[in-house]
Amino acid sequence: MTGFANDFPILAQEVYGRRLVYLDNAATTQKPDCVIDAISDFYRKDNSNIHRGVHYLSEVASEKYEEARKKVSDFIGAPEQSEVTFTSGTTGSINQVARSLEPTLKGNEVLVTGVEHHSNIVPWQLAGAKLRAIQVDDDCNLLLDSMEFTDKTRLVAITHVSNVLGCINEIREVVKIAKEHDVPVLVDAAQSIQHIPIDVKDIGCDFLAFSGHKMYASTGVGVLYTSERFSDVMPAIGGGGMVEKVELEKTTFLKPPLRFEAGTPDIAGAISIGSAIDYLQKIGMDKVKKHEHDVYSYARDKLMEMDIVRIYGTADEMCGAISFNLEDIHHYDAGLILDKMGVAVRTGHHCAQPLMRFLGVEGTVRASFALYNTKEDVDMLVEGIQKVEMIHN
Amino acid sequence: MRDAIQDEIIKEFDGLEWFDKYGLLISFGKVLEPMDAEFKTEENAISGCQSKVWINSLVNDGKLVFSLDSDAMITKGIISLLMKVINNRSPQEILDLDLYFIDDIGLKSNLSPARSNGLASIISRIREIAKEKAD
Repeated sequence: MTGFANDFPILAQEVYGRRLVYLDNAATTQKPDCVIDAISDFYRKDNSNIHRGVHYLSEVASEKYEEARKKVSDFIGAPEQSEVTFTSGTTGSINQVARSLEPTLKGNEVLVTGVEHHSNIVPWQLAGAKLRAIQVDDDCNLLLDSMEFTDKTRLVAITHVSNVLGCINEIREVVKIAKEHDVPVLVDAAQSIQHIPIDVKDIGCDFLAFSGHKMYASTGVGVLYTSERFSDVMPAIGGGGMVEKVELEKTTFLKPPLRFEAGTPDIAGAISIGSAIDYLQKIGMDKVKKHEHDVYSYARDKLMEMDIVRIYGTADEMCGAISFNLEDIHHYDAGLILDKMGVAVRTGHHCAQPLMRFLGVEGTVRASFALYNTKEDVDMLVEGIQKVEMIHN
Repeated sequence: MRDAIQDEIIKEFDGLEWFDKYGLLISFGKVLEPMDAEFKTEENAISGCQSKVWINSLVNDGKLVFSLDSDAMITKGIISLLMKVINNRSPQEILDLDLYFIDDIGLKSNLSPARSNGLASIISRIREIAKEKAD
């Protein structure tokens, strides 16, 4: 193992007698030792409920939880820590916004893009909104001219990076245009937070959603950044830990972030996000971005050299995922054989069925990268594809 | 109970490395007669598969005859074996059948739960149809 892979114990194993090459990072990333230790330390030493107890452990747990919140707010450049809420993940974050804004959204419109995954489609539909998509060109660059605002447009909800194609959307431009129409913007950063530095002030968005598990932390926990101007929206979920005063007739709520965190949160999970951020910052996000860019470009070049490979999406800026198909070979057949070669990829529609229809395919093979991937991993992928071709013919 | 057709299949796969097994499945898939497009309906499609699978059946002289098709070649190979094993049996025979060849040729252990889910849903649909016809 080379480079950062040494920090990730799971990558030291063999599958089917071959070195594991994990290229399914858009689905979930592996965890470094420090994150695994942070989770285990919490349960071994600090486990207690937070913001409730007067006892020692509760104080320690509360402090560590709030420390994680501070790390997140620093990491994404949130002006106030109160703008950072822990949720169950990207899907949970988006649903929280959809539920909170439901009265505004019902019968009105949300603008999305043609490259969204289902998590940025279904919650808005459930809130009663009609979706309209910002179109993309054949290279999957957003056609900003196609952003059409009507008197019913209440929100723009847009992914930063496509989970299928890896194209990076020009979110700053989108926010700028939306602001001109006084429409708030939610950015789905599920596929960008782990790859490129993010600053919410710089982006100017009103909401930003991402998951812990795609950025080297645990599953079942995520973040929703809500700009202060939405701090008084009604919480989507009610219960303990988020209320100021409860009477049978009426309840008043605490100020954010606690008003958006009903019940006992995933405390260890939040702490794991803090620990993952420490890890990323120790390396430096610019260094992460550069290393990943090198591996990603190498992978694209290598795959493009192969006659059998057809890559989808060639936007100007890309990161994370590469989607492709092999000529005359079904993506599922390719995935099965690559797996036997020790190469873990995802195949299918990647929870982005509208995009599949746009591309005119049933599914693709997706190789997606993280900071521990290397050019050697790409070589193994290439070797795997050659094997697929050989077996198939 | 041992079954001659399944034993024959197991013999064919015996001792093969994984890539030869997949190679063999692909070659079976390639020669499988494609299903008529008119039967590839939403109703005949089986969900729970990463690849698409369609299933159609008819009763001939009290025996069930299934035809299956898929867009993925390895899946096609697997269903061609399934058809070999289950076709031209009475519905009750199909219901009583132990499909041990799947495990024995190393497919079950080689497929992850989510993927074998696809195979499992194909078999459960076959059994559903057999049950309907048996009633």
